[in-house]
Amino acid sequence: MLEMTRWEYVMEYSKEINSLLGTTKSMASIVEDPRRILTVDEEPTSLKAAWELLEIFYADKQSQTWLPERLVDWLADYDNLFSETQHTVYSKLLDLQHHILHLQVIEDDPKYWDCLSSALSLGWLDIVVKLLRLHGSYELDQIGKRETENGLVEAVVVLVSKMPRLRPELQAGRLGECYRNKSDFVKGWETWRARVTKLECSSFWVDCGHQKTREGLRKILQIMLGNTEHLSATTYNWVELYISHFLYIRPFTVGLESLYGLAQKCIQLKPVSHPHSLMGLMVGILGENTEVVLAECSRAFGPWMVTHAIELLTAGNDQSEILLHEVRQNLGGVSIEELHRLVYAQVLASHQLTWQIAPVYLTSCKPGIGMLEILLYRQPVHFKQGLLKSLEICRLYELDDVSSNIMKIAGIHHWKHGRKGSGIFWLQQAQDEIRLNKIAQQLFDFVGKSISEESFKQWEGLIELLGSDTRTAGGLEFLHKYRDFKRSLQQAVDGKASDAARQAVESLIMLMKNSSTPQRFWLPLLYDSLKLLTWREGPLLDVAQTNLLLNKLQELSIARMRPDYVEADLPTQALSSVRLALATNLGRAILEEQ
Amino acid sequence: MEKTVATLETGTVHEGSIVKVLWVPPEYGDAVACVLDDGTLSLWEEVAGDGQSLQWKICTKFLNKNARVLDIQFGGSSTCLKLVAAYSDGYVKVYELHNPLDLNTWQLQAEFQNVIDSVSKFAKASCLSASISWIPQKGESQQLSFVLGFNSDVPQLNSSKVWEFDQLHQRWLTVAELALPENSGENSGDPVHAVAWAPNICRPYEIISVATQMGIAIWHVGLNPDVDGHLSVEKIALLSGHQGEVWQMEWDMSGMTLATTGSDGVVRLWQSNLNGVWHEQAVLEPTS
Repeated sequence: MLEMTRWEYVMEYSKEINSLLGTTKSMASIVEDPRRILTVDEEPTSLKAAWELLEIFYADKQSQTWLPERLVDWLADYDNLFSETQHTVYSKLLDLQHHILHLQVIEDDPKYWDCLSSALSLGWLDIVVKLLRLHGSYELDQIGKRETENGLVEAVVVLVSKMPRLRPELQAGRLGECYRNKSDFVKGWETWRARVTKLECSSFWVDCGHQKTREGLRKILQIMLGNTEHLSATTYNWVELYISHFLYIRPFTVGLESLYGLAQKCIQLKPVSHPHSLMGLMVGILGENTEVVLAECSRAFGPWMVTHAIELLTAGNDQSEILLHEVRQNLGGVSIEELHRLVYAQVLASHQLTWQIAPVYLTSCKPGIGMLEILLYRQPVHFKQGLLKSLEICRLYELDDVSSNIMKIAGIHHWKHGRKGSGIFWLQQAQDEIRLNKIAQQLFDFVGKSISEESFKQWEGLIELLGSDTRTAGGLEFLHKYRDFKRSLQQAVDGKASDAARQAVESLIMLMKNSSTPQRFWLPLLYDSLKLLTWREGPLLDVAQTNLLLNKLQELSIARMRPDYVEADLPTQALSSVRLALATNLGRAILEEQ
Repeated sequence: MEKTVATLETGTVHEGSIVKVLWVPPEYGDAVACVLDDGTLSLWEEVAGDGQSLQWKICTKFLNKNARVLDIQFGGSSTCLKLVAAYSDGYVKVYELHNPLDLNTWQLQAEFQNVIDSVSKFAKASCLSASISWIPQKGESQQLSFVLGFNSDVPQLNSSKVWEFDQLHQRWLTVAELALPENSGENSGDPVHAVAWAPNICRPYEIISVATQMGIAIWHVGLNPDVDGHLSVEKIALLSGHQGEVWQMEWDMSGMTLATTGSDGVVRLWQSNLNGVWHEQAVLEPTS
């Protein structure tokens, strides 16, 4: 059951890939126009042909019993691919099609008979029948005179149409008699052969007046009887010869070993000086040589083909699986399968339009994750769409470190290009405490130096933004409390209003209590507040408040001994001034409270 | 990082041509480091002040009266940027950026010569060129390493050495010398024209390529140090094909293909096959 689902999955995968490669109409299909024998409107590609070949041998386990017939269909679809460099049955037929309109008496032309035999050799029965029906003896005014001749042509048409095929079904409109199992087929085959032999020995031939028809038809019968000389003479390369052998000599060929043996024989009979890549691929497959198959795929069809074909090559083949999945130290700890995925991903990654597909391949193998990190790191982050895409990929594959790094890059880019709000937003997203603290320092210095309304405006929005999310603000959140403090302090200093001063003290205590206020700002805050601590009209801080501030000062003295402590940019006597002011205030507060 | 370089107004600041331009890692802004043919090094950054348009500004100039800068490389992580500079007197200086927001805050962290034992010093070294390559960083790993080779008249300085930062003692140490045992130390000396540390996505060892007049050597460097803190090294291949000097080597992002070029103006791609044998995979020649 499990095995079944595995094969179904492989086949489904193969079909899906195949459909991506375009649709192919068999060129040997029936055309409505009575004088057209081939369709030539769609050019099939070698890539699709190669994929289908792999599918036939590696994926489609259900049709293994009728594999020769699958190959017959395959060649019918792709014979014209071989025409680029050499003659083929297809090119002969195409040639005839060009001439056919100008031929007055078709049966007088030797090409007509050659094409008939060739098409029959490859099992293109519909074309054979269609061509035979163009025979002059069918013309109405001739039937009387050429009755025997016409009878013989029609008898051949019937035999061709009834040819037994060892396959479950034929495409609609295709000719031949299908047999599902071997024993039925053998019976059908023997009956059919007997009928062919009977016609061959019939006495009607003597009465056939047209010599070319007589010879042509008898040659057709010889092909149906499996005459090797005729088969060899009517086919143009070893693949065509191979197919004709399946049809007329060895219809029961099964098992890769015998398939390979037959192929070797055909190659010997019809050697090619520059074999087509599909031929090389076929030899590799038949010879069960995975390395050759991969090399041919890689050489002729590129990294896409290899990467995807490996899925088929390893399906149910233990040897290939070991070969392709084994981790190799020579390759730096990757398997051949992984290597090809990495190579193809790199091809995808090299173009702006395709790089987003690369992660699919990279994440399908362990070493790919490292490469994905490098790839993501290289993507530009200056445009929001690209940035969001990169982050989406990080999220999908849980690459948190990479994601945070990308956000840092974006943050710094915006910060340095005058978009400070976006800069801080992305640095907050990245939870980059180090950079946010540096920014806090800058803002603090600025707010500390000038709180005049005019210049404050440009920072105000920023500080508001920082206050909204305390969790990720990274030490910036206290800044807007600091701004409030500075305002009331300013008012207190300017107007000497005790209310404002009390408010400023409240703000100061809040700031000093708040854990988000960075330690390095404690002393500057206290130093700013000297006036409050030594308020003329009486102590503004009570005992508890003063003690709190003194404790903070103590904490600060301890912190200063740590190596990472950053000294505030203050006069040297700042600390002692603050300490003295606090002590004075404490004294006054104690007296007052008594 | 891919980006169109804006025109730098170097003419107003420097006389002379630029021999090397290098992008600062993007976590630190859009900035480049320039080495001029007089051996000075400066950093330029694209910034927009408040309400101003974008412009390239000089951030800092590294001054050194006694020697010219030959090569520079940035390394470290997104939290700690380091700059290694190799000088014509055979010295190496490692600078560290103090404030990640401000490319003007460099501190000299270390200064040493490219030799195995720190005792020997070569005062009169005269170096023509140098090549530095940092270990390609992955994630936030704190490991700091680079490889460095010189082209000089002192053999001991020349040989490529792998330097690693010892966090515990805060110092740089040589952890490997890319030389065969019989050729190490004083005899190691072929001038080095270029070094390149390959990205490592899954290998249990590092790969470093070193170009000398003998060809391009591919070295495997172990990951785990022995009791003395040294890494094992093994010369895997010596690739020849270039006519003349090899100037530049770059690895692809998988660390499996090496691209090289040099005075012959030809780019060659090198790969290892399934049996671990290195070979020339492709040659790209100029069309005209």
